[in-house]
Amino acid sequence: MESTLESETQPSQQVSSRQLGFEFKGDGMEYFKIWIVNVLLTIITLGIYSAWAKVRSNRYFYSNLYLDDSSFRYLAEPMTILKGRLIAVAALIVYSVVTAIAPMIGIVLLIALFFAIPYFINQSIAFNNRMSAYKNIQFRFSATYGEAFMVMYVWPIVGVLTLGILYPMALLKMHQYVVKNSSYGTTKFEYTATYKDYGMIFLMMIGIIIAAGVVIAVISFLIPALGLLSTILIMVMYIGIILYSIVAITNLFYHNLGLVEHRFKSTLTIMDLGKVMLINLFFTIITLGLYLPAAKVRMTKYMCSCLVMDAEGSLDDFAAAEKENVSALGEEFGQVFDFGI
Amino acid sequence: MKINGYYLDGQTSQRQAAFLKIDFNDKSRLKVSVKPLVDTSETEPEQTDDSEKTILFRELVISSRLGNTPREISFGNSELFVSEDNDSIDQMNEHFGNKNSFIHQLESKMTSVIVASALTVVIIWGLVVYGIPESAKFIANKMPTHLSEQFGSSLDILDKTVFDPSELDVERQTQIIVLMAPFLNQHQDLNPKINFRSGMKANALALPNGDIVFTDDFVKLVENDEQLLAVLFHELGHLKHKHLARRVLQDSMITLMVILITGDIDSIDLLTGIPTLILDLSYSREFEVEADTYALEQLHQANIPLERFSSVMQLLSDYYHDEIEEGDFASDIPNFLMTHPATKDRILMTEEFKAKLNE
Repeated sequence: MESTLESETQPSQQVSSRQLGFEFKGDGMEYFKIWIVNVLLTIITLGIYSAWAKVRSNRYFYSNLYLDDSSFRYLAEPMTILKGRLIAVAALIVYSVVTAIAPMIGIVLLIALFFAIPYFINQSIAFNNRMSAYKNIQFRFSATYGEAFMVMYVWPIVGVLTLGILYPMALLKMHQYVVKNSSYGTTKFEYTATYKDYGMIFLMMIGIIIAAGVVIAVISFLIPALGLLSTILIMVMYIGIILYSIVAITNLFYHNLGLVEHRFKSTLTIMDLGKVMLINLFFTIITLGLYLPAAKVRMTKYMCSCLVMDAEGSLDDFAAAEKENVSALGEEFGQVFDFGI
Repeated sequence: MKINGYYLDGQTSQRQAAFLKIDFNDKSRLKVSVKPLVDTSETEPEQTDDSEKTILFRELVISSRLGNTPREISFGNSELFVSEDNDSIDQMNEHFGNKNSFIHQLESKMTSVIVASALTVVIIWGLVVYGIPESAKFIANKMPTHLSEQFGSSLDILDKTVFDPSELDVERQTQIIVLMAPFLNQHQDLNPKINFRSGMKANALALPNGDIVFTDDFVKLVENDEQLLAVLFHELGHLKHKHLARRVLQDSMITLMVILITGDIDSIDLLTGIPTLILDLSYSREFEVEADTYALEQLHQANIPLERFSSVMQLLSDYYHDEIEEGDFASDIPNFLMTHPATKDRILMTEEFKAKLNE
């Protein structure tokens, strides 16, 4: 238990590099069944069942995610989530009533919430990590209030004040905060991305906007009758930018993620992600939302199929961390008050 | 019975093949057998037996069955046994007198899934069509006036943001106030007050505290005083039916419902926003119809020709149509995406109302 990872590495085992793909084995129809029962019971119980629904839903996605033939595991108990949810909803009601009756006290509460959010964010990530396990070893998260305050408020404000020049830095700091404070058992995650990596993505986005803007301007100048066409072009560009940013940032994120000598690689492409999104959007709309669960499965399958772990040697040598307790309050506060990262 | 799977000790991420052995004569205990690690030491290929231990069934924590996912059985400490043999584990549960998950029964049977889908669709439809509008109406009517006035913005805020002082001459303003005074007296419970402002195109609006605003452009647009009264009655209808408070209540109920349904699905916000928007617009049109009906009733009571209402609606429609440049596709927006009913529907409604009166 106390022995560290290095001392446990078995010298007899040759260190071989293996490519381990993540695989999501869930099925759209199967998840639909679980989801529709969740929705019905949630409505009938006036929302109480939502805590159980969340656990069943998360368990389905964690337990179907495989790496190296082992699945992940979601550990949270519905009662823990229900308690957190009830406290958060009660707080929201108190806040709304107080704001309606005495706006001044409402403002005081709002300021208090402002300063409490970084704490809740820490708690929320800690809860989610601790409730995630792989090969019976839990993930962990431990960050200071100051770190959370910096990435929640200070860096984004600096990004805005520098007219966006340091905005990539704010995103980098956010990812560093999440990754570097996370660990798998006793083993910390590493993150090696730089400001330049993020800056390039942002520059690329600006480039796309300018290029597309010029094209659209020229078209609408030459052929004014095609006003509708330029509206469509603007929408296509908008979707393209969103797709590009998701693909580029996700790939960058995993490329720079490390766990001791193990590395990760994500190979999302704009075309494939766009295809998955379009199919999902189309079916969700024509089924009036009933396709939503299958859409989530399709998206998860695609994301996982692009994710690979470059494992150096065995994954058997990680040690569990000491037991600790984190309540679900932070996580549920985040959901009810709609903040999060 | 033997259940195959693997064992994790909870201290390291090393996994070992293992199986559970159940003797059907023993109603409280079972055996766990864990294969020793093969490649730990190359020195001697020891043929030691699997390490086997006996445990009490009641100490086990067995995860409930969920789709095709592997079952996790915790030994009450950090040790874990994982198996994909769901049926055998259910059988083991039965043997030891443990109930199997009822929820899984619901989730796996096709009939219950179809029933659940149908029930969900019916309940949501009922909530959207009856439940939410009716409960919002009930709450808005029961709510103390000083509270329902909180919904929506006040004239102070609008003055600071959109409105400019009216440029109508005082004479015309007084004339209109005098014209409307008797009808305002009939509606004293609503505490109505007439205001004139500029800074917005031809429009009239009612705020929850009773402030009714006519814009200068609107006063200039109307052809006669009776048209002004028709619009006044429409705005009084909004106040009478507490539409703003109801709209705020309905919107928050829809949002709550959408969150409850999609809560565990972090999809694109846009996707969850669309139904909320469409429902809000359709509720908004229902309110307009309610206010229109009220206006027609009041016109009838005041012995003013009902055509005044349809003609002023036509005026407004033409006015806004001219604002929107020709060829713009905004004029072809389908009905269900409009906040207000189409003018031709309003004119039709006036005709129907008249026909009903003549019966």
